[in-house]
Amino acid sequence: MKILVPAKRVPDTDQKIEVCEDHSGIETGHLPFVVNPFDAIALEEAIRIREDRVDAEIVAVSVGDLEYEEQLRTALAMGADRAIRVDCIESLDPWNTACVLKALVEQESPDLVLMGKQAVDGDCNQTGQFLAAMLDWPQATFASRIKCLEDKLLVDRETDAGIETVELPFPAVITVDLRLNEPRYASLPGIMKAKKKEIAEISMGDLGVQNAEKMHTVSVRSAKTARKRVMVSSSCELAEKLRESLKST
Amino acid sequence: MSLSTETYDVIVIGGGVAGLSTAMQLALRGAKVVVLERERIGNGSTGRAAGLLGQLRGNSEHTRMLMDGVEIVKELEEKADVEIFVQTGSMRIAETDARAEEIASLVRMGKSIGFAIDHLPADEVKKLLPYMRTDDLIDACYCATDGHLQPAELVSAYVKVGKDHGVTYKSNSPVTEMLMAGGTAYGVKTQDAEYHAAVVVNAGGPWSYLNAEMSETTLPTAAIGHYYLTTRPDSQQPIDRLSPAIRNRELRIYSRPESGGLIVGMYAAEPEIYDMKRLPVDFDMSAMKASQASIDVALLLDAAQRRFPWITPQTPMNITTGIMTFTPDGRPFCGKMPNIEGVYHCAGFSGHGIVQSPAIGVIMSELILDGNSSYDLTSISADRYFDVPELKARQDIDTKCCEMAGNYYGKVERPSAPAVS
Repeated sequence: MKILVPAKRVPDTDQKIEVCEDHSGIETGHLPFVVNPFDAIALEEAIRIREDRVDAEIVAVSVGDLEYEEQLRTALAMGADRAIRVDCIESLDPWNTACVLKALVEQESPDLVLMGKQAVDGDCNQTGQFLAAMLDWPQATFASRIKCLEDKLLVDRETDAGIETVELPFPAVITVDLRLNEPRYASLPGIMKAKKKEIAEISMGDLGVQNAEKMHTVSVRSAKTARKRVMVSSSCELAEKLRESLKST
Repeated sequence: MSLSTETYDVIVIGGGVAGLSTAMQLALRGAKVVVLERERIGNGSTGRAAGLLGQLRGNSEHTRMLMDGVEIVKELEEKADVEIFVQTGSMRIAETDARAEEIASLVRMGKSIGFAIDHLPADEVKKLLPYMRTDDLIDACYCATDGHLQPAELVSAYVKVGKDHGVTYKSNSPVTEMLMAGGTAYGVKTQDAEYHAAVVVNAGGPWSYLNAEMSETTLPTAAIGHYYLTTRPDSQQPIDRLSPAIRNRELRIYSRPESGGLIVGMYAAEPEIYDMKRLPVDFDMSAMKASQASIDVALLLDAAQRRFPWITPQTPMNITTGIMTFTPDGRPFCGKMPNIEGVYHCAGFSGHGIVQSPAIGVIMSELILDGNSSYDLTSISADRYFDVPELKARQDIDTKCCEMAGNYYGKVERPSAPAVS
């Protein structure tokens, strides 16, 4: 069994984020970059699947420039068997990312694509769905539990109405939600092994894909937060205030 | 543009435990004090500390400070109605002959000054710490009166008592300039105000050397990275809230119970050095995060698993990372420098800020208000490296302090040599 795990390089959104003066994006000079936390959850799940069934191979992939190797190295240290970087200096929108991943899937023929439901930089929540549609594969989005059986997958999905359990045949695309698991920190042997592993590089051209922008960033602005603070003297008063504010929304 | 000016008796730069304790003690003696904190009160190193209290130190004056500190904390607990000191007891363990000799000399030294510490038989160790691997131990010692101070509670007590005695606290107020005239400081500037006072206290923790630079002074402190893990409560692996703190110097780790889980921290052999100048002006230490593939975390996990085999990379846990302030000898700098009047330094606690802070507040207030202290300050005087040319350049200071931090647990304390304090 082969599992493909896309791992996007994103700025750590827990840091203070500032918009560039020309509103073209955010200031990234001082920001640490991480593996998209949802992708890290997907990778953790892939590792757990492999811990259950020894025959699984985990391939981490990323679409970006040389800096993305840092995140792929992290994926290798956590436990991915190998890594592929599709060299790309532009930042792709979800449609084009899905196009690249589709071409990679056709080349690698995985049984399962396991990925974050969204990346925390763009919060688009589209790539997984696009990819499944392009491949005409079954998909389960917002997974909070995955059971990998011999011939099928059972997935609990988090929906607004509650948990929905779906059954999927292989091959499939699953996008994962926050509550699926907690990604591990790499072990010492994991980091040592990762240092020796090679990160394969493929060009967009090799995959026969061209970036055809579907989404265009006009301007980036920070949302105004108008938080009103009120001091309350008791928990009863707090409950009353909360009730009022719920009524008014 | 003219800034508003406020006048105080003492300005304290830094709202961590060192600054807060100093401000409180000064106010208790009637001084009018303002604490200027660059970010939030009690954030910074204080907000990330484990707070381990091991009273027996290589230097008897330090032991006295720590023991007096416990008494101060007990008073604070009454005044602020919080539990700060958790008396869990503490244990040192040895798995090699050299470490066993280290323990033996510590016990001898402790007994010689009447401190309640003794060797502990293996079966007793196992009984006290059922969740720890013990089959490889050749000796251990136990001190029942040790434990830890809860940093958040300590901060809230300092602030509560400080407020009751008129201390002013200003958050989000980084000091941008030291105001000086003829070799004497008379205040500081922040972005929106000027503060005038005859005394400025530099309790800036990892930022302390930058504060010193503002007063044309080299303070040989360095900012050193530190990591600890906290496991989540697990019914399969209960950790009693009063089980003893552990120091396992051979593995470079310490541990203590925390909210049903276990804290395990590491004094790494090759810790990171931070250049505080390069961090953003609004740097928030609580937002520091370890990378998923951090070598420091991997080393910590590896050492933790050796002593607590149930801790694995899959164990649900939080990793806390922060910055400590080390000095070349692991002891803080408290007091004035010969070149500038009016500036008192109070920084460089080298991983012991929480537990030293109660007595340090008293010491600083004595120095500032009386000009001398009831403690022997030889080992912690601010000017002890003032004339050392090897400790003038930033890089040399960083190297020396980093060496100290790396050796802190790593080096075996020889009974013949003066022990590391």
